[in-house]
Amino acid sequence: MRDAQYKFKFGRKKGVPFVLKKVKVGDLLPQVGKDIDQERIWRWANLSGDYNRLHIDPEYARQTPFKGTIAHGPMSLAFLNELMMKSFGLGWARGGQLLEVRFVAPTRPGDHIRIEGLVKEIEIKDGQKRVVCEMAIKNQHGEKTVVGQGIAFLPMEEE
Amino acid sequence: MKNEKDRPELTFADLPPGRTFRPLELAVTPELVQEYMEVVGDHHPLYFDENLARKYSLPAPIAPPGLAAIYARLSYLQDYTMPSGGVLAKQEFEFHAPAHVGEILEVKAQVKESYLDEKGRKRVTFFIEGRNKEGKLVSTVRLSAIWPK
Repeated sequence: MRDAQYKFKFGRKKGVPFVLKKVKVGDLLPQVGKDIDQERIWRWANLSGDYNRLHIDPEYARQTPFKGTIAHGPMSLAFLNELMMKSFGLGWARGGQLLEVRFVAPTRPGDHIRIEGLVKEIEIKDGQKRVVCEMAIKNQHGEKTVVGQGIAFLPMEEE
Repeated sequence: MKNEKDRPELTFADLPPGRTFRPLELAVTPELVQEYMEVVGDHHPLYFDENLARKYSLPAPIAPPGLAAIYARLSYLQDYTMPSGGVLAKQEFEFHAPAHVGEILEVKAQVKESYLDEKGRKRVTFFIEGRNKEGKLVSTVRLSAIWPK
């Protein structure tokens, strides 16, 4: 189990340690890469208590319409959360919203996935910046496996 | 939580709208957070750096928000097993305040909807709230699944 070694330098601005220093519409969030293997899926099963055979039993999974094991959906949610934490820090942990997350294709052992985000909209609301991001997870073929929307809240004084 | 073999399957018939479940108590231990960080590969310093947490006026390092993806599911499966073949269709999270390492969260799930869709699939939506011991809301989760049986 290994991940692409993207280096993040966490900012140290007042109130929020995060990567993005100035956020504007059209910004790409810092990409995160993951290699998915059966070991990682097993460890997620142990962590979450989800031992559905579709995830952990290759023999069983081969006989299902998926033709093999697939990663747990909530693991992808954890990856989306990771990207938003990296990008917005406490601006995510305090008030963040992950909306309309849909699972459009399975993630399989052997896949290399990229977790991506794009700033679509920024609105000033209640003295905060409401930053709306379009999010997606794509596999090595460029196919989207998960899509959703993340909304972070940043204090105005960060500018 | 009971051993898996001692727990019955949670079927669609067990999930009428309005049904609630025994609250889940989840201890956010450093070991749990460490295992989460390793499995996910998410090593944000706010999850473990006490000095950094203090610098940002936090009482302790924070739990990874993504931990909600785990406790949301556990909140309705403490006394049941999930039948094979279910599909997670849609999920939404709102993080109201960070949970901190060392806290115990109380997580409550309620069935908001359960119905057969136009294709006859069994659809279930849960609404799940996580609170800290002071009763402060930490997260809300809306989870929709296609139930297998």
